[in-house]
Amino acid sequence: METVIEVKDLVKEYIIVKKESGLRGSIKSLLFPKKTKFNGVNGISFSIAPGEIVGYIGPNGAGKSTTIKMLTGILHPTSGSIKVCGISPQADRKAVVRKLGVVFGQRTQLYWDLRLGESFELLCRIYQIDQQAYDDNLAILTDVLKLQEFINTPVRQLSLGQRMRGDIAAAMLHSPSVLFLDEPTIGLDADAKHAIRNFIKEINRTRGVTVILTTHDLDDVEQLCSRIIVVNNGKLVEDGPIGSIIHKLTPHRLLVVELHEPADDLTTPHATVIKQEGLKIWYQFEKESISASELIAALSQKLPIQDISVKEPNVEDAIREVYKTTATR
Amino acid sequence: MVSTIKHYVSVASCWARLAVQRQLEYPLFLFSWLLMIPIQYFSGIWMLKIIVDRFQALNGWDFPQLTFLYGLGLISHGIFVVFFINTWSIDHMVINGGFDRLLLRPMNVFFQLVASYVNFIGLIDCIPGVIIFLYGADIAGFDWTLANIGKLILVLIGGILIRAALFTSLGTIAFWTKRNGSMVGFALTMLERATMYPLSMYPYFLQALFTFIIPIGFISFYPAAEFLNADSGGLDLPLSFALWTPLVGVICFLIAGGIFKFGMRNYESAGS
Ligand SMILES: Nc1ncnc2c1ncn2[C@@H]1O[C@H](COP(=O)(O)OP(=O)(O)OP(=O)(O)O)[C@@H](O)[C@H]1O
Ligand SMILES: [Mg+2]
Repeated sequence: METVIEVKDLVKEYIIVKKESGLRGSIKSLLFPKKTKFNGVNGISFSIAPGEIVGYIGPNGAGKSTTIKMLTGILHPTSGSIKVCGISPQADRKAVVRKLGVVFGQRTQLYWDLRLGESFELLCRIYQIDQQAYDDNLAILTDVLKLQEFINTPVRQLSLGQRMRGDIAAAMLHSPSVLFLDEPTIGLDADAKHAIRNFIKEINRTRGVTVILTTHDLDDVEQLCSRIIVVNNGKLVEDGPIGSIIHKLTPHRLLVVELHEPADDLTTPHATVIKQEGLKIWYQFEKESISASELIAALSQKLPIQDISVKEPNVEDAIREVYKTTATR
Repeated sequence: MVSTIKHYVSVASCWARLAVQRQLEYPLFLFSWLLMIPIQYFSGIWMLKIIVDRFQALNGWDFPQLTFLYGLGLISHGIFVVFFINTWSIDHMVINGGFDRLLLRPMNVFFQLVASYVNFIGLIDCIPGVIIFLYGADIAGFDWTLANIGKLILVLIGGILIRAALFTSLGTIAFWTKRNGSMVGFALTMLERATMYPLSMYPYFLQALFTFIIPIGFISFYPAAEFLNADSGGLDLPLSFALWTPLVGVICFLIAGGIFKFGMRNYESAGS
């Protein structure tokens, strides 16, 4: 299989210097620093094929940003190997970053006191983009990301959503083949999120850009990613198509039944009652062992049913399941 | 190779243009420019007056020679601040993760650090140095021949490289200590003492230190001694200091670049 990203047994060890409080403490920690080691990423392997959109998800502190920083050549891994487009970012950083676009939602990669347009001009020279290609690219990006209103505003004066769009445009100017997005929709309103998701879909479809996306917004994942990689405590927990992960992690569905009069015996051998509010009852059942229609048929035999609905588990349930089962350290 | 140099020059000039633009936009720019030039001019004259009152002949250096040395030290400091001011914030960038952005661009990190900000306003700060130096050169009988001007330029370039190397090495320490313990103030004091006054007035071991270990004697002291035939405290080298200073400068700069590159391996970015 062809791959753009190849990661093997990746480990990043952070050395944490404990600082003690007070004057005595700070003198002590100056002379005898207490160092503890801690693995932010603890043995992760995966590979990604060209043109995939992969959601890289996990709870706070799972090691997502650390992984992305290693893949983009910012951090040196403690051990393990990385190949991006066949090259190790640690061995030849400049060659690798030429092919990458990187956006950190938390922190702009733009030049703080330059106007957005000036930042672009600078990037054009830094990446040695051919003038024609630059003009065309910028025109498209300006149009799709609606940059025209603030292209002449200094970056520090931009709102969060404007800045994010600017950052994404900056990351795409040199037509990278891989795009890393670390929380690109953090703090954005529904419209802005929608625009950014559409943009990601669009460049993936038209230019075949491979996208690696971390986010805490599971709508992003649901709408964009065909595959997710779930990490927790620096370790890989799940890796696969979104549907099968949901199926695997949350094998049950819910049936919500509303009665028109109270009934005495609510139990059924095929499902368990997990909640009851007045005349509304929630049944949980295994989708492997009984179909929804069979269960409904069985229940309507004994209960005065008024209304019925079936709830499918979603990504959020699945993810919560993962976080629960891989206990925190 | 040629295309790499072209690439770097094109980026550096774009940055320089943007830096000028940005500084021109500063609302008080014109005001401060108009105000600062005379202020700097008069402070130069005033400093000169203090020097005249205070400087006695020192270790075989007479007053004109001392003024020349003092002015040379000031000018080289002033130009350094214009081009390398960002080397003062390396430790800060290490702590707050400021290198992330530079590492994501396909260019040398140290180049980006330095070239991204040319502090043109700092040129105004060079005025006192120039005044004092010109006065010193005049009374010390400095020969303004073409050869001497050429030597002077070489010495200035070498001295600036030595300064840049020093501050880069100091900032690089933060890659290991992960602390913001800024050594900039300390280094500035040390540089002032060793570049604006004759090194020969210090104890022997300090002279040796500032010649062979931290070679800041090459920034202004040895060249000035050679230009004016003053007492250099016993260091005699073949050929001219106009060659030695740039050579020492380039060597120090390359070593500092190596240390910086090595330190980058330890870079940990910042959480978030
Ligand atoms: N520079 C650093 N020095 C020390 N420890 C760090 C550093 N950066 C991250 N860590 C630690 O490594 C772990 C992983 O951090 P990372 O930023 O990769 O998490 P994340 O998955 O991106 O979390 P979030 O969802 O909150 O952004 C955390 O426990 C964090 O405290
Ligand atoms: Mg993160």
